[in-house]
Amino acid sequence: MTTLDTLRDATSVEAIKSDLLRTAYENEGSFLHRLDPRVLLLWYVVFLFVPWLFYDTTVLLGLLAFVSVLAVLSRVSLFLVGLMAFTVATTLGSYAVVTVFTGDPVAAIRALIPYTLKLTIISVSSLAVFSSMGPKTLSQGLRSLGIPRQFTFLITYGYRMLPVLFQEYHDLVNSFRLRSTAPDSPGRFRWRHYAYLLKLSVRAFYPMIFNVAKRSRVTVEAMEARGFSHSLANEASTELRLADMQIRPKDVGFFAGSLFVVAALALFL
Amino acid sequence: MMTTTHNSHIDVEQLQFQYPGAEEAVLSGADLTIEPGEFVAIIGGNGSGKTTLCKSFNGIIPHFYEGDMRGQVTVAGHDVSESSVADLSQHVGYVFQEFDNQLVSPTVFEEVAFAPMNYGHEDYRERVHRTLDLLDLSGLEDRFVWELSGGQKHLVALAAAVSLDPDILVVDEPAAQLDPVNARETYDRLAMLNETHGKTVVTIEHQTEFIAEYCDSVVLVEDGIVSWKLPVETALNQLEDLRGQDVHPPQVTRIAERVLDDARPLPVTLADGLDLFTDYGSTTGARTDGSSKVNQTGKPVVSFDDVSHSYETLRSGTKDVLDTLSLDVYPDERVVLAGSNGAGKSTLMQLVTGLETPDEGTVTVGGTDTEDVLPEQLAEEVVYVKQNPEEMFIDDSVRADVGHYLDDRDYPNVEQRVDEVIEFLDLENLQSRDGRLLSVGQQRRASLAIGLATNPSIILLDEPTGSLDLASREEVGRTINRAGERVETVVIATHDLELAASWATRVVVLDDGDIIADGPPSDVFADLPALKQANLHPPQVVRLGTELDLTPAPLTVEAFTDRLNTPSPSTETAKSPVEEQ
Repeated sequence: MTTLDTLRDATSVEAIKSDLLRTAYENEGSFLHRLDPRVLLLWYVVFLFVPWLFYDTTVLLGLLAFVSVLAVLSRVSLFLVGLMAFTVATTLGSYAVVTVFTGDPVAAIRALIPYTLKLTIISVSSLAVFSSMGPKTLSQGLRSLGIPRQFTFLITYGYRMLPVLFQEYHDLVNSFRLRSTAPDSPGRFRWRHYAYLLKLSVRAFYPMIFNVAKRSRVTVEAMEARGFSHSLANEASTELRLADMQIRPKDVGFFAGSLFVVAALALFL
Repeated sequence: MMTTTHNSHIDVEQLQFQYPGAEEAVLSGADLTIEPGEFVAIIGGNGSGKTTLCKSFNGIIPHFYEGDMRGQVTVAGHDVSESSVADLSQHVGYVFQEFDNQLVSPTVFEEVAFAPMNYGHEDYRERVHRTLDLLDLSGLEDRFVWELSGGQKHLVALAAAVSLDPDILVVDEPAAQLDPVNARETYDRLAMLNETHGKTVVTIEHQTEFIAEYCDSVVLVEDGIVSWKLPVETALNQLEDLRGQDVHPPQVTRIAERVLDDARPLPVTLADGLDLFTDYGSTTGARTDGSSKVNQTGKPVVSFDDVSHSYETLRSGTKDVLDTLSLDVYPDERVVLAGSNGAGKSTLMQLVTGLETPDEGTVTVGGTDTEDVLPEQLAEEVVYVKQNPEEMFIDDSVRADVGHYLDDRDYPNVEQRVDEVIEFLDLENLQSRDGRLLSVGQQRRASLAIGLATNPSIILLDEPTGSLDLASREEVGRTINRAGERVETVVIATHDLELAASWATRVVVLDDGDIIADGPPSDVFADLPALKQANLHPPQVVRLGTELDLTPAPLTVEAFTDRLNTPSPSTETAKSPVEEQ
C-alpha cells in the first residue's frame, strides 16, 4: 500500500465519521468527563482569559503543554487535531506570504508567534473540554447555568442527528458519484480526481439539507406527543434533569490544581 | 385476562378536517367509537383520511396542523380541541410510521426516559427499566439508537410511548418497513399489552394477515368518513369494500373465495383455512407457477469469491456483515436476495457498485475486479436503486434527475432518451416536480426511471416494495416487470417473499453473512428450516400448502386454487402473478 493509499484510507469519509462520533460520544472514562459540567464550563471561561495575561513565549508554551496533556487525556479526535494544526500552520504561512511584500517575513512571524500561541491554547482547551463532555452533560451544565431548555435540547438533538447527517451526506455523495463521470486522467497526485470529489461534496449539501428538513416534521410531532413543550414550564422536570449533578472534592481539586499550574508557570518560567 | 382496566373511550362525532391550503376536506363527517381494551385495525387507501383520524386522538390534529376542524373528538373524557397535546399524550401514546425520525435522543435509555422526564416523574428510572423489561428490550439501555436494527428501533419507539403508561396506544403501520418476523414481534408485544395490561390498541394497517390474527375489529375509512366498524371475521369478508380501498384480503380468504360456492363465511386465518381445506383433496399435477429450474448459461455477470466485509460500531464492536460468501449471478436471471433486516443484502449490493470494496475476497462485475476501477466506471454496467428513494434525487426535478447521468457523460440526443424513459414509466405528469415531494410509490417509479436512463445491463433494487400500500406495490411490481424487459439481469433485495414467489427465477437466502439456501423459488420455499433460520416467513399460501402436504407447495393463490380438486372460477385467473401479490 502506498503512502497515498494510507492517507486516503485515513481521510476516508468512513474513518472521519467514526473518529468524530467517537469524540462526541465515547468520552466516558476520560479524565475530564468525570468532572461536574458546571466546573468544567467555569474552568473553560477562565482559560479563555488566562493566555492573554502572559506575553512570554516560554510561559505560553508551558500553558500549551498543560492544556495539551488535558486534551490527550480526553481523547480528542485526531481529525480535529489535524484540522487545527493545518489551520495554525497555514495562518502562519499566510502571514509570511503577505509580509514578503511589506518587509521582513521572519520578523513578522516571530512577532506573531505569541498571538498565535494564545489562540492555539484556547483552541486546544476548547477541544479538551468539549470532547470530554457528552451531549447530556454539556446540556445539563448549560441548563443549570440558566440557558433555556429549547437551546440545551437543541445541543442533545444536534448530537443525535450527527450520525444521521453523516450517513445522509455520504449516501448523497455516492449517489452523485454513480451518476457522474470521473476525470479521464487523475493528474499529478490525482489532483483532478480530488477536485472532482470536492465538487460533488459541495453539490451534495443542498439535497442533504432538503431531506433532513423534510423529515424533521415527524421529529417535532414525536417530541410534542411525548411532552416536550410540557417540560419547558415544568419545574419538576427541570429538577429531575439536573438532579445527578454535584460538585465533589475532585472538581474543586481540579480547578484549584489548574490555577496552581498557571501560577507555577508564571513564577518559575 | 385483563389485570388493569381503564375507562378511556375514544368518541369521534361528525369530525371534519381540512388541511390549510388543501382544496378538499380530508375528513368529512367521520363517526367512530372505540371502547376501552379493544384491539382495532384502521384500514383505508392512501389519502382516505385514516392517519388524520388517528392524529386527532392525541390532538396533533387540530393543535399541530392548524386546519379547519368541525365536529367533536373526546378521548378519555377530554375534548380534544380544548386540551393540549401534552395533556392528551398522557392518555394516548403514538408510534409513528417512520421510526428513525421519531427517536430524538442518542441512547435507548434517554429515549425511553424522555417522556417521563418531561412530565417530571421522579420514578423515571424504574419506568424505563419496567418498560424495557415488558417489551423484552433489557440490555439495550446504552446502545445508540442509530446502531439498532430496524426492528429494535420500532420497539424502542413503542417503549418510548409506553413509558408514560397511556391507556391507549396508536401505532401507524407497524408492518410497513419491518420484515415479517420483526413485524410479528411488534404485534406480539401489542397483543400482550392489550391482553394482560388492558390497553386499547389502534393500529393503522393494510396487511390483512396481521389484522386477522391479532385484531378484534376493523374500521374502514373511505373518502373521509368511517364506512363501517365490524368484528374482524365479518370485516375481512367484505371483499368488495376492501378491494375498493386497495386492501387485499388474506391469501387464505382469496383462495376460499375461489373455491367455495355456498354462502358460508370465508376463513380469514391460516388455522381456519386449514380446517376448511383439509376436506378438499388435492392433485399433485404439474405446477402452474414459477419455474422450477434455474437457468444459468454463459459466463457469470457478477461473481463474489470468498467475500468478507465488516464495519465498526461505537459500542457494539466490529460487525461482520458478510463472511466468506461466494455467489455467481448469470445473465437473464431474476434473482431475489432474501433475508431479514440486517442480513447483509444491502452490503452485497453496495459491493457490486464498487462504492464498498470487500475486506477479503474479490467481487467481479463483467470480468472486472471492482477494486481496480472507480464506481463511476462500474456505473456504466450496474445501476443501484436505493431502498430510500429520496437519496436518489439530487436535482430539483424528476426530469433533471433522469437526465443527470446522460448529460454528465455528454451522450447524444439526451432529451430524446429522457423522453423515452419518462414515457416508458408513465412519468409525464410528474417530470417537472421535485422527486422528494412525491408520494412513496411515485418516488420508487421515478428512482427506477433514473436507473433505467443509464441503460444498464445489471439492475439492483433494494427493497423496492418497502413501506408501500398495496396499490403502490402493484404499481412497482408492474414497473419491475417492465424494467426486466430492458435489462439483462435484475437482482432484488427484499424480505417480501410474496414478491419473490411470484417474480423470481432464483431465490438466494442470506443469513448471518452467508448463503443458506439458493435455488428456484419452489425449492427454496420448501426448505422451511432454512427460512426459519433466516427469520423469514413464507407467504401464507405456501404455509397453507405445506400444512396440507401439497408438494411442492404452491406459491401463488392461483396455483393453489388450481391444485385443489374444485374447478376455480375462471374470471380472475387472467391477472398476472405480480398483480396478485
